[in-house]
Amino acid sequence: MGNTKKIQEMLMNSIFDVFEKMFFVFLEPCDEEMKYDMSASIEFAGSFKGNIRAYLSTGIANSMVENMLGLEAAEITDKTREDCAKESLNMIAGSFVHKLDAGTVFDLSIPTYKKESGRFGPESPGNINLLFDSDGLYLGISMKLEENKK
Amino acid sequence: MSFNVLIVDDSSAMRAVIKKVIGLSGFKMDSCLEAENGRQAMDLLSDQWVDVIISDINMPEVNGLEFLELLRENETLKEIPVIMITTEASEQRMQGAFDRGAKGFIKKPFLPEEIKRVLYKVIGVGSDGQYEEDTRDADELDF
Repeated sequence: MGNTKKIQEMLMNSIFDVFEKMFFVFLEPCDEEMKYDMSASIEFAGSFKGNIRAYLSTGIANSMVENMLGLEAAEITDKTREDCAKESLNMIAGSFVHKLDAGTVFDLSIPTYKKESGRFGPESPGNINLLFDSDGLYLGISMKLEENKK
Repeated sequence: MSFNVLIVDDSSAMRAVIKKVIGLSGFKMDSCLEAENGRQAMDLLSDQWVDVIISDINMPEVNGLEFLELLRENETLKEIPVIMITTEASEQRMQGAFDRGAKGFIKKPFLPEEIKRVLYKVIGVGSDGQYEEDTRDADELDF
């Protein structure tokens, strides 16, 4: 797909906007493979269709919960981490599709969440993969995007 | 005079944030009810009155637009002002919500000041019961 760099920039700006405004987490792009402890996913469909998946370390998920909900570390639960992970993806997807094509209504799916661990790297054919570091806490975002010919 | 607020969002995290922001804004809130979707909200509204509703659009079971339609079909409940809060804020989407009776719109991610501004636009409150703006600046709100 052409304009990959522009699309990557739009996605990155959406991620920065959401994490800074809602979670007070300031991200720096990085290239190193990361270990994740959970993932969340959302699909979108409008003039384009695709999905965005977020890979989060426990550390960054905890930081999101602490900052967004004002909870102490001892109060954080799997449910609060899941809620914040899903909500972050919902906002990233909404912001991104608006940047992509503001004149079209996009349908967003209800985000899903999995508590699973693995490794996430910058390379994945056909996807835009972005990695971020926030003081040693890691986030990975992978997006698949295609024109919706329907 | 204080007001009853209903927050409808499938994310408990987002409901907590909205509730916190409303509290910090100085808006006089008597009670704050919460529902996970339009169906739960309609159940709550069958025996409890609220003065303003803040609702997400993208929710399971009964989404925000369907919820607006259910409210509009009800002679009593259609009078309650509804503010939609959503991630996907295309003009068509917003118009669709306004056509179904929404009175305000907040785009996620939002700053606390935006919730406060829209809430006061839709329903302001003063000590004398008159509509008035809270004049505190956003940076005075400890979010």
